[in-house]
Amino acid sequence: MAAELLRESYEIQGGNFDKAGEIASEIKVILRDLDIDAALVRRVVIVAFEAEMNVAMYARRATLTLILTDKDISLEVRDEGPGIPDIDLALQEGYSTASDEMRDMGFGFGMGLPNMKKNSDDFCIESEVGKGTLVFARIRLNSHG
Amino acid sequence: MVELKHGFKIDAAKCEGRMNCMRACPTHAIRVKNGKAHLISELCIDCGSCLQVCPSKAISATTISLAELDDFKFKVAVASPALFTQFGLNDTPAQVGRALLDLGFDAVWEYAVDIELNDRAITDCVKKWPGPFPLISDSCPVVVRLVQVAYPSMVDQLIPIEVPREIAGREVKRKYLRELELKPEEIAAIYITPCQAKSISILQPAEEGKSYLDGAIGISEIYNDILYRLRKDTPSLKDGAPDNTRELGELFHWGNPEGEFPSLSREHYLPLSGLTDIIKIFDDIEKGKLTNIEFLECHACLGGCVGGNLTVENLYVARSKDLHLKASMPQPTPEFEREVARRYAGEDFSMRGSIKPRSFARDVVDLRERVMRRKRAEEIQKALPLLNCGLCGAPSCKDHAEDVASGRAAISDCVFLSKSRIDQLRRIYKKGPRRVKR
Repeated sequence: MAAELLRESYEIQGGNFDKAGEIASEIKVILRDLDIDAALVRRVVIVAFEAEMNVAMYARRATLTLILTDKDISLEVRDEGPGIPDIDLALQEGYSTASDEMRDMGFGFGMGLPNMKKNSDDFCIESEVGKGTLVFARIRLNSHG
Repeated sequence: MVELKHGFKIDAAKCEGRMNCMRACPTHAIRVKNGKAHLISELCIDCGSCLQVCPSKAISATTISLAELDDFKFKVAVASPALFTQFGLNDTPAQVGRALLDLGFDAVWEYAVDIELNDRAITDCVKKWPGPFPLISDSCPVVVRLVQVAYPSMVDQLIPIEVPREIAGREVKRKYLRELELKPEEIAAIYITPCQAKSISILQPAEEGKSYLDGAIGISEIYNDILYRLRKDTPSLKDGAPDNTRELGELFHWGNPEGEFPSLSREHYLPLSGLTDIIKIFDDIEKGKLTNIEFLECHACLGGCVGGNLTVENLYVARSKDLHLKASMPQPTPEFEREVARRYAGEDFSMRGSIKPRSFARDVVDLRERVMRRKRAEEIQKALPLLNCGLCGAPSCKDHAEDVASGRAAISDCVFLSKSRIDQLRRIYKKGPRRVKR
């Protein structure tokens, strides 16, 4: 069993695009100061950033939790939102339910969840339509040797 | 770990502990203890912000002086294009070149060729690069060091192409070894630099190789000597000195202030200057943004190298001179084109070593201990006033908390937590209790 070393939680507001990315930056600083391997930090930051963007685009609010153990770094994003009816479809690159307005803002190209999955060692989504979604991503500390 | 060198030194005798440097340092690399400034070497990126703000003139660039040039038999000046922006509108690059010869240089290098070569090599590299994007320019040593220290995950995005001044240094050696009967160590390629950071990139290149250049002289160091010669009549040349300054005049300015001028499509190329903006953009890159940009040209000094901290002229005046020079620049001559083509075919422009993230002394403790220190620092910070007054000797309360957590400072250095700290500071700064005027 991995020993938990650090746990930090952050609130994310839905619809708030100007703040999206701040948590990813904060997490970056924490992990960098802890001297975590740079390539791993980069992957965690991308996952966190995409999660923030998803919440900003679709959900009302969410809690993002960073958990560091001696074996891995995990991100858990629990949102209150519309939920995802077909998770497999949502994980396909290019699939998007973004509105034209979001696309005009330069978001919603259907790369968010696939990108999170690509950058994780373990990745899972649980969702209940009408209630919310839980995204869990784990990046192993030794996956870079 | 190899000891890190820096492009400047703090003279402890002159330092009055006024903390301007500590407050100006963008990477929080300076502490002021017992009234003297100290550098945390691993954090310093050689931006030179501290040099300009020191009220006691205790921080100076480790460039070389004109007198030290005499150590070499044959001295070649490789002048940053920024040099030519420092003088009057009517002072031509050719005249500045002649002044350099009169100052004791044996030749003035046609740096425009190397700048053009670097431009082509970068353009080629960008076209073939498989990713990740954007690539980041490596000609500003501060940018390279910033990536090593604060954006370690991006070191692979620094373009693996030799910088123009190194390309020049290498060819200087080749050419004059071929033409003159001298030993390699008798030929010196001296960079005329707009900043102290280029000097450290020569002393200790980030890619851990050895520089082809032999030293750097700050523009401010020779400004007066050149100006004097420009205001006199055309300086006479030393007997037998090769006068190639006519061509120099025409070609010197082929290229941007510090050279990188890739012929890349404008929408995929982003030039930026000033550390504050660079840090903002790097933060975005780290989040996976800006991948549509192929090449980022970054200069730590606002306005690029014409705004370097060893330049003399006001940035905006220099920039106007730069535009003036560019507007009156002729088309490149066939000889120039031939020389570029000849060298491009025969030289390798890839970077010799690789740039790695800078390793820190804190590597020695394991992750668990690092997390403990972080938690301790957070606890300590709660006791601090968060005013960032700096009187503890660290630039912010957060820095002080981290210093305390890792055993580098005592928490009682904070004046809010210890009355005796005020008395201690009074003794150090030799100021008595405030006298009230009536």
